[in-house]
Amino acid sequence: MPAIIEIKDVTKEFKVLNRREGLKGSIKDLFSRDYKTVRAVDSISMSIEQGEIVGYLGPNGAGKSTTIKMMTGVLEPTEGQILVDGAAPYKNRERNAQKIGVVFGQRSQLWWALPLIESFRLLKDIYRISDEQYDGMMKLYGSLVDIEPLLHKPVRQMSLGQRTLSDILAAFLHDPKIVFLDEPTIGLDVSMKAKIRTLIHALNKEKNTTVILTTHDMGDVDALCRRIVIIDKGKMLYDNDIEHLKGFFGSYRTLKIRIDGDMKEIAESIQKELPDFSVSADDEWISVLVDEEKAKVIDVLGRLQSSCKIKDMQLEEISTEEVIKKIYEEGVS
Amino acid sequence: MKLKRYLALTRAGIIEALQFRLGSFVIVVGNLLYLIVVYFLWKAIYASAGTKVVNGMTFSDTLIYLVLATALFNFMEMYAVWEIGRAIQSGKIVLDLLKPMKYRTYLFWSYSGSFVTNFFMTFLPTFIVVTAVTHGAVHLGLNLLCFVISVVMAIIINYSIDFIVGTICLYTESIWGINIMKQVIVLLLSGATIPLAFFPDGFRRAVECLPFQSIYNAPLSILLDADPEPKKLVTTLGIQLIWCVVMTVISKLFWKASLRRITVNGG
Amino acid sequence: MKRNGLGFYLRIYGKILAQDLKSKMSYRADFIISTIGMIFTNISGFVSFWILFRSFPSINGWGYYEMLFLYGFSLVALTPVQCLFDNNWSLRQYVYSGDFIKYCFRPINLFFYYQSEVFDIKGLGQLAFGLGTLIYSWTKIGLGFTPLILLKMTVFLITASLVMAAMQNAAAATCFWIQNSFYILDLVTRFKDYAKYPITIFSPVFRFIFTFFLPIAFIAYYPSLVVLRPDEVPLLSWLSPLIAVVFFWLSYKLWMRGAMKYNGTGS
Repeated sequence: MPAIIEIKDVTKEFKVLNRREGLKGSIKDLFSRDYKTVRAVDSISMSIEQGEIVGYLGPNGAGKSTTIKMMTGVLEPTEGQILVDGAAPYKNRERNAQKIGVVFGQRSQLWWALPLIESFRLLKDIYRISDEQYDGMMKLYGSLVDIEPLLHKPVRQMSLGQRTLSDILAAFLHDPKIVFLDEPTIGLDVSMKAKIRTLIHALNKEKNTTVILTTHDMGDVDALCRRIVIIDKGKMLYDNDIEHLKGFFGSYRTLKIRIDGDMKEIAESIQKELPDFSVSADDEWISVLVDEEKAKVIDVLGRLQSSCKIKDMQLEEISTEEVIKKIYEEGVS
Repeated sequence: MKLKRYLALTRAGIIEALQFRLGSFVIVVGNLLYLIVVYFLWKAIYASAGTKVVNGMTFSDTLIYLVLATALFNFMEMYAVWEIGRAIQSGKIVLDLLKPMKYRTYLFWSYSGSFVTNFFMTFLPTFIVVTAVTHGAVHLGLNLLCFVISVVMAIIINYSIDFIVGTICLYTESIWGINIMKQVIVLLLSGATIPLAFFPDGFRRAVECLPFQSIYNAPLSILLDADPEPKKLVTTLGIQLIWCVVMTVISKLFWKASLRRITVNGG
Repeated sequence: MKRNGLGFYLRIYGKILAQDLKSKMSYRADFIISTIGMIFTNISGFVSFWILFRSFPSINGWGYYEMLFLYGFSLVALTPVQCLFDNNWSLRQYVYSGDFIKYCFRPINLFFYYQSEVFDIKGLGQLAFGLGTLIYSWTKIGLGFTPLILLKMTVFLITASLVMAAMQNAAAATCFWIQNSFYILDLVTRFKDYAKYPITIFSPVFRFIFTFFLPIAFIAYYPSLVVLRPDEVPLLSWLSPLIAVVFFWLSYKLWMRGAMKYNGTGS
């Protein structure tokens, strides 16, 4: 089976204005300007199969949005080739748009003042969805989420969670081959996040839709993706199974504790006690980066509790940023 | 140092305005084109009239008046109604209220930067060109000083009116409607589009009792009057001063009374 | 896949329009205030017109009713722009905030999709004013209501509308390159107020500019000559429908180019 998305040595460059600082600089800028070329995406290649859910990760400004814009046909690559379902998206943006669905951050693409059902009906016409397919989709939606109360509510009156949910439903409505989800769970509470993840998972299973997911939330990645692609500064750093990555970094967790007294001093004494792990302190928390292959978090916590009085604690998974930082610093073999 | 804080806002405004090089260029060129339209239009009007003086104004009087009115408009217009209206609708107003400065003051000084850039980019060039082209039709003497004082008061009156109208946005979602009404009324009744001298007598006397004529008509008539009677000068400036105080007080009180809507309703 | 034809777009527009009107009903206060604002604008326009003609009975050989005809013509011609292309005014904010990207993911024409989002119903108030003025001056001049003249009127009103829409599209599209494009859009809007004066008042150089670069002469003057002074119709009047289509097409191309260019730089 041929790949649904085929990216070969794609590079995208932008010209950016170098602004000078201060009042004097601004006046200078008025007369002479100085541009520099920035490589937002630097010879990236990947191939994605129909039905995959791919986590597309990277810190802010890494080039994720630029790649997605190229795949959606909004941007033309400077070099290299992109094929979406066998055609170059930029050459015919409108035709490409028929095959994809997009949820872009918190920017709702629904008609702000209209009840959701009216937005759906408009989309039905715009995408030329047949009655049969539309009814089928609505039935499917009804079985997956409690859609009734949403349908008659204007989008502007919805909570962020409801809006995101609606946007995702709208993106899948015309049964696209690929759906791009950019930060779908940003700003949502835990239960809403879980709901959205279940929905995406179910739609992917049901319709065999390819999903490209960009996110900063490792929870999204864990719940949905088998494969992840990481880029930073436009360069591809990693493209493989998530299990593979976890083998390297998944054993790290951050234990955060709060103790009365001078945090810096205490942090130093803890560091002496636990020489294997790195300990740091800020105004609120003392953080211990625990490698679970060496010691269980619960044991570390027990040891700490015996020596000092812990007021509060938190346990954090290693964040995407940390993973990426580690990959960037240490590389992946 | 209160003033220092205000001037920091002015400086930020100037920098912001200068970021847009092409924008500034367009403003200057567009303004020039606009003045040309006004010139030809009134030249044709006077040519058709057959007489040199109409309603006590010659062609060059009318032209100078209108050109400088346009320059004043560009220099004073600050779209404060939009700013306030949007801040209210987006809820940003709550953040603005948290700033350690009164909102009314904060907004005014935020705009002061654009006063400075607009002065140098639109008003001054226009003024120099007009003075040069008309060979001394603009008298350069004491009236210049009075003109500056008058303009400062005009800015304050204009800002107060904008602020009052902006405050109305707390009560309605219709910023566009509110703003267009204000703009139309101010431009017509202040004599910015047609000099007040052309208005029919009764209408003119009514308009002279309103605050709007203090914005454009007052400073311009001071500037164009080469040999002003002290009594007339004092009356014009005096009326402006009264409106200045009255409008400032009204805008402050109205804002204070309306603010309770935000604090009570939570925006 | 079948290409989207004109019928497809008309059907979509009809549906969006119906939905839009439905949702407007939920902002009734805004609608009423905006309509009043629109009425104010028109009344103020008439007052200015009346004040001017009180002092000057004719301009450049154009009598009172002929000028009134031009005025009414320009009002009617501006209605479609006001109603159909009003979203141009918001373009700047969408571009600035980055929200513009959301229009780029639909399988329909980007320009159409963007403009279809807003139908400005208050433009219809202007239509009523314009039609009233037009018919009044029409009967006063005694032009007669033959089918031919009505056909001519229809064709040339559409011509004028296309030119105005083209100017507005082009002005709005500048925000893809420069950030404070509001001034340009505002400037073009101010210019259209001068479209109601005969182009002959300008010197040849500016006649050329206002015909080909900033084509305000096509908003009222050239098209209405065909009806108003059938004995002295210049070639440009007859060509104006073609020219209008070319202008509109160019502005559309500019707009789309800008949109694509912007997506390259936006985050």
